[in-house]
Amino acid sequence: MTEFLSKEGLFTWLRQIAGERKLIAPVRMWGITLFRPVGSPEDIALDIDNTDLSAKDWFFPPSEALFTVEQQGGGRPLITPATEDREAVLFGLRPCDALAISHFDLPFLAEPADPLYRERREKTVLVGVACARARPECFCTSAGTAPNDPSHMDILLTEAGDGYALQAVTEKGRQALGDTPLESRDIQLPPTPQPDPVPLAGINDIARQVFDAPYWDRLADRCIHCNLCAYVCPDCYCFDIRDYSAKGKIERVRCWESCQSAGFTRLAGGHDPRSTKGARLRQRFYHKFLYFPEQFGPTACTGCGRCVRACPVNIDIREVAAEMQKAAEQVALETG
Amino acid sequence: METTPFVPHLATVAAITDLTIDVKLIRLELEDAGVREAFKYQPGQFAFLSALGVGEAPFGLASVSYKGDELEFAIRRVGTVSDALCEMEPGAWVGVRGPFGNFFPMEDYRGKNIVIIGGGIGMSPLRPVIQTILDHRKEYGDILIIHGARSRQDLVFAAEFDTWAQAPATRLELTVDRGEDAWSGRVDLIPTVVRELKPSPENAVVIICGPPIMIKFVLVELESLQFAHDQIFTTLESKMKCGLGKCARCNVGEKYVCQDGPVFTLAQISTFLEQF
Repeated sequence: MTEFLSKEGLFTWLRQIAGERKLIAPVRMWGITLFRPVGSPEDIALDIDNTDLSAKDWFFPPSEALFTVEQQGGGRPLITPATEDREAVLFGLRPCDALAISHFDLPFLAEPADPLYRERREKTVLVGVACARARPECFCTSAGTAPNDPSHMDILLTEAGDGYALQAVTEKGRQALGDTPLESRDIQLPPTPQPDPVPLAGINDIARQVFDAPYWDRLADRCIHCNLCAYVCPDCYCFDIRDYSAKGKIERVRCWESCQSAGFTRLAGGHDPRSTKGARLRQRFYHKFLYFPEQFGPTACTGCGRCVRACPVNIDIREVAAEMQKAAEQVALETG
Repeated sequence: METTPFVPHLATVAAITDLTIDVKLIRLELEDAGVREAFKYQPGQFAFLSALGVGEAPFGLASVSYKGDELEFAIRRVGTVSDALCEMEPGAWVGVRGPFGNFFPMEDYRGKNIVIIGGGIGMSPLRPVIQTILDHRKEYGDILIIHGARSRQDLVFAAEFDTWAQAPATRLELTVDRGEDAWSGRVDLIPTVVRELKPSPENAVVIICGPPIMIKFVLVELESLQFAHDQIFTTLESKMKCGLGKCARCNVGEKYVCQDGPVFTLAQISTFLEQF
């Protein structure tokens, strides 16, 4: 027997949530789909597959103040750190984005923890929805998760007929349901979609062999360093910190940055240790396939396929993985 | 005030003096007595300094912790933050986060001969190394300091040269790229000086800091003098934003300069995938 929540029951619950705390959910806006605070469940884009922008925006906004400074003349500055006091429910999370949140936790919750990130994590309930379809660019089953994987969520809903099979994964999830009435039903779940496999197993060992492959410069020839891949990626977390000041008030702002930016590693004196496009593009894949796993364990890719969809010059991470494999075979041939 | 890892401690400029045309020595006094007491650091470590409203950047600590609570930084005007810091007057407020990073293993250097090679502002993190050795002179072997700069006016810590040169078993070699009438010393590139002086690798370590191009050619000379890679120490400079292993800006291959460094041996650096 499985717990079942009717569509109507879901809307009643979400309406109640929206009245009590922030409800973050997928919406259509500006011609794309993304996670935003919504006023009522009717605003949620329930009919879409994966969103164009990932759920990371809620925990790691494109830009946010870390603290503000007030200073009169040359007087003692008064620094006020930013805080997050909003309880939230993030609804419509897909397993790939849930996996990405578990990856974000590794750098951001490592001591000393990032205070804003930690507060949002603690105060947000993650309500996932299993994927009914795989998009052509999806490859989550090769990246450590699956269309119906409840890992790293508090609740997982799976569409079934006129409602959802409900799995309360954590106590936090169970509590968030409050007294929402759930039926107990014998449910036949729809078949899980099967994304095409991508050869990511052992990619870190392969990366060690092909660092100097000519492939990187060739691939980078067509990169226009638009940074879209990093912005749509649920796993990319590089950031910049800068000061903005207006009318005597100063904000220290943290904002998204991408390793594809020309100035990403350029030092104040002008020296740039990663000055070629090829080296920068390689950094993107090496951080995902080798450096992040070396530092924290998992590969920093969840198979969501967003970068494949977003790249204006068709740089395809699945193809990159396959090319790396080919290059490694070439290296093996040459060295006997 | 609630402290978070991104919020700097407040400090005031206690003194600011010219070291060269474009380098200032800034001495800072942390405001809070508890913070001051807790701010202990080792040669080679760094801190982030904020010119509030302009930005924040990492700078090597140029002082030694055991001498007192005031923090010294040798800052060369190369960017917006360093410019703003160099413009400051005594009494101005500065933000400080740190100390960060690993440090030169001064304990391991005991009883060894030490070759210290600094190019330009690269002398900054080497000054606390020299200071520590001179304050515990008997614990270390012979010291050779080679300091080079573009011109006579670019040699940093000139006021301390006499003290260094006169210390027991300590040799100071200064060199400049461009000679002039007022300069009677060497006009050589640092690698040339290393080749000429032929420091022995026996029971010795080398500590190098300076521009990458200088380090590259000094390493060639050290190689031919048979220095092993684990006898050579350097500090890597890298763009970084947080110092906490989170912003993912300062990696050299799989190593993060802010946490794994900034001090590395050449033996470690040669295993990195990425070469800086």
